[in-house]
Amino acid sequence: MKKILVVALLSAFAAQANAADTIKLAITGPFSGGSAPMGASMRDGAKLAINEINAAGGIVVGGKKMKIDIIERDDEAKNDRGALIAQELASMDDLSGVIGTVNTGVVIAGDRHLQEKGLTKIITPAAGSASMTQWSKAGVADLSIFRFAAHDGIQSAMVVTEAINRKFTKVAILYDATNYGVSGRDDLLAQIKAQGDKVEVVATEKFAIGDKDMTAQLLKAKAGGAQAILIWGIGPELAAVANGMAKNGMHVPLIGGWTLSMSNFIDNAGKNGNGTLMPQTFIEEAISPKAKSFINGYHKTYKVDRIPSPVSAAQGYDAVYIFAAAVKQAQSTDTHKIKDALEDLKEPVKGVITTWKHPFSKWNPADVETHEAFRAENAVMGMVKDGRVVFGSEADKKRFIQQAQ
Amino acid sequence: MDVIFQMGVSGALMGLVYALIAYGFQLTFATSKSINFGQGELVMLSAFISLTMLNFGLPYWLMVPAGLLCGVLLGLVVERVAVRLALEQKSEGWILMTIIVGLFGFSAAENIWGRDDHPFPTPISSDPMQFLGINVTPVELSVAVGVLSVMGLIELFKRKTLWGKAFEAVSADRDAAELMGISAKRTIMLSYGLSGMVAAMAGILVSPITTVGPTMASALILKAFAVAVVAGLESGFGVVVIGLFLGALESLASFYIGSGWREAPGLILLILALAMKPNGVFGKATIRKV
Repeated sequence: MKKILVVALLSAFAAQANAADTIKLAITGPFSGGSAPMGASMRDGAKLAINEINAAGGIVVGGKKMKIDIIERDDEAKNDRGALIAQELASMDDLSGVIGTVNTGVVIAGDRHLQEKGLTKIITPAAGSASMTQWSKAGVADLSIFRFAAHDGIQSAMVVTEAINRKFTKVAILYDATNYGVSGRDDLLAQIKAQGDKVEVVATEKFAIGDKDMTAQLLKAKAGGAQAILIWGIGPELAAVANGMAKNGMHVPLIGGWTLSMSNFIDNAGKNGNGTLMPQTFIEEAISPKAKSFINGYHKTYKVDRIPSPVSAAQGYDAVYIFAAAVKQAQSTDTHKIKDALEDLKEPVKGVITTWKHPFSKWNPADVETHEAFRAENAVMGMVKDGRVVFGSEADKKRFIQQAQ
Repeated sequence: MDVIFQMGVSGALMGLVYALIAYGFQLTFATSKSINFGQGELVMLSAFISLTMLNFGLPYWLMVPAGLLCGVLLGLVVERVAVRLALEQKSEGWILMTIIVGLFGFSAAENIWGRDDHPFPTPISSDPMQFLGINVTPVELSVAVGVLSVMGLIELFKRKTLWGKAFEAVSADRDAAELMGISAKRTIMLSYGLSGMVAAMAGILVSPITTVGPTMASALILKAFAVAVVAGLESGFGVVVIGLFLGALESLASFYIGSGWREAPGLILLILALAMKPNGVFGKATIRKV
């Protein structure tokens, strides 16, 4: 009996020692449902980076090589599921960090649990402004939440600029009734004001998740004489809008958030999606050796010939490398130390989007940019063309090729 | 003015799909006084099966009859698994049983095909055509043609064939029909088979417009139910009229009141119908002998 107890104790210790040999990283996002192209691509991109790091032996922490251990959770794009998952993660003692979350509503429902425990999280690819501004509004002094995505402030500015550059004077704004859509609408309206009220908003119409018939909203836009539709929503409903525009004989451009690059928009809209414009941080074109090996690696590993959401995959991939750099600099798996390292990354991190030099800095509640990695120059206008997203213009492509070097 | 017609017409065309699903309720109610509460799942499952057949390379025009046949089989399964025993025991167990079978079908679809929406390819064009200034797509017209021809064929079948007459006889008086040597059991099976076929037709017709996904029918089924109740559970003509009316009303409400209020007029209509015409606008008041 005593012997068994000793063995049991020993093996328990052994297991513990084993556990301490890995860096525990949680990846959360919607891996099923309408947001799945973003969630699954982000997860798969992140896993590609983790596999590369592990295959090279792991990260050297305190003279010991440690591998990354993945904890995966599907939030189904539901706010309540997201909150439960965040509570679960916050209760884990040995978790080093969290990467993920696609839906702004899920971020708002869940992140406060992580922040309470000071658990380091890199949000990607959720873009809604509220994800970070909620902390500056609350005046939080010390924040463990970072964002690695072109936030809607950047995106809405690009969308409005595009409309102005094309000499449009009347636009309609369509948005979905989620936190993401509503905050996107507010960003668009604020940007139109900030850029000198050069365009008039003739209709502001919302739609719900699951809506298939957008005729009413579109006819309002048409009646107002809209020359372009500015839109904030996710794949399936965006496709319903594009199809509805074709049906109602509206041949005006559809310009909106980066979600217009989702595979379920492109596939469900078919030819009606051609010419749609949206800000992107990564285009699935081999413009640099790093991008080429990443795209090929993704295609081969997951047996696809098109990444469902290239932006999410690339951001997931780069986010892992930035996290790994922080672990290495902190020389610890302690999430608080990793947070401090993230706020002051000394060495540049070579990613697939660009080379990240000091992406984050010490949190300042008056300036959310301190915990935002992306600036306007990291985004580019993408365009849907025959089932793929390509560069909107040659000049943009040149700029991106330069940055990728 | 154009807008009123445009909204009304596109709404009414969708309303015909509600009518077709409501017609499926009527078919089984006529013979057995029972309804398949999992009818929406039959619509969804048939659409998924049809899509799978298309993906395997079956041409569209062969897929339609094959899809309808699957609908018939699904309808028969529902009858055998969820309805027959309850009817034999003269219990209302079919209410819960059909819901359970529906939920089972829903879970099966999620596991087999996933939770995502898939586009449903069709050779019918979705480029708009102009009729008197109104934009209509051939796909929408195909919905109208499909709905009306299926309903027309079934009505013809009920009036002109021997089996159809048996169907009508059981609907009119089940006990008397049995005394005349008509098998009520077989007639009820027939009605569930037809109801499944109607559901499959609705799935095939509506999928190119709404895409195919496990939740594709959840909104449709509620409206179909409202149509069936408002029209009454006896009149095939009634569901078409009410379906057209409800579809157009929804569309107009979402334009003039706001897209968030889309469902409101339909629900008000339902409440009014229940309060004023509990047997439906086109229904007959029945005297129940005690």
